[in-house]
Amino acid sequence: MLKKTWNPYLAGALAGILMIFSVWANGKFFGTSTTFVRVAAVIEESIGIDTSKNVHFTEKKGKYGAQALPDWQLMFVFGVLLGAFISARSSGDFKLQAVPDMWQQRFGNNPAKRGVVAFFGGGVALFGARLAGG
Amino acid sequence: MNLGYGLITGIFFGIFLQKAQVLRYDKQVGAMRFLDMTIFKFMLSSIIVSAIGIYLLKDLGLIKLSVKGTSIGAQLLGGSLFGIGWGLLGYCPGTAVGAVGEGRIDALWGILGMLCGAALYAEAYPFMKAKIISLGNYGKLTLPQILDVSHWLVIVVFALIVLAMFYLFEKKKV
Repeated sequence: MLKKTWNPYLAGALAGILMIFSVWANGKFFGTSTTFVRVAAVIEESIGIDTSKNVHFTEKKGKYGAQALPDWQLMFVFGVLLGAFISARSSGDFKLQAVPDMWQQRFGNNPAKRGVVAFFGGGVALFGARLAGG
Repeated sequence: MNLGYGLITGIFFGIFLQKAQVLRYDKQVGAMRFLDMTIFKFMLSSIIVSAIGIYLLKDLGLIKLSVKGTSIGAQLLGGSLFGIGWGLLGYCPGTAVGAVGEGRIDALWGILGMLCGAALYAEAYPFMKAKIISLGNYGKLTLPQILDVSHWLVIVVFALIVLAMFYLFEKKKV
């Protein structure tokens, strides 16, 4: 448990077993991207944007709207954050880093440059994931 | 009750992801560059194991599957955009959250971007629904349905292909 790394085949198989239990006990498959939509609705509401007229946030009984929170997936996302933190801290693997090693080798160590590309990439990735139904 | 299960399941999943090192930019971009197949080893092992378990539960009548609809337009355009974004960010939505837990600050910028992308998608949704999602929309489809064979045959063939890939990864030491 305290070893820094596990065999990826073993860790993957354990994640598979975890998902079988999750589907059995709660009917829940693993996902995160829908939570970003719901949190975006919460943020929009909190800065005074009315989401009640938005078709996406209101269709299917408001499944993708702010009122769907808190739910299983939001807690799952918090859990992933917490689990990764516990795992990294307990094995001395936690490292504050603004620019990944491979990025540095190719593009230098400017955190602003990396931040802008990460921000833009995140936006495009989530838009695409939602469109594809992920 | 449901919320507690979500948290505990997430914690375990976060531990497995962190221990396999799949939360790292270097591993994710390394896979895209065919230099390091760690994330494929993790992902494909997970898919095989859960496919067997979940179809077993289905055959025993213990669960019902909720199959996502197939839309060629949405999945082709959405998948391509996801790929471009994933390549730029170097984390997928779930691993970005886990990477923050490991101390990777750049993933935070990615998460902020994802929230903007989500808000943007909500605005673009009526257009997407009318023009893109409607392209080649076949509804709920599965491979065993199309091929008209038992799902176990599909699982076994898929597992054999994956095992061949694992053999190749180990041989090439990637």
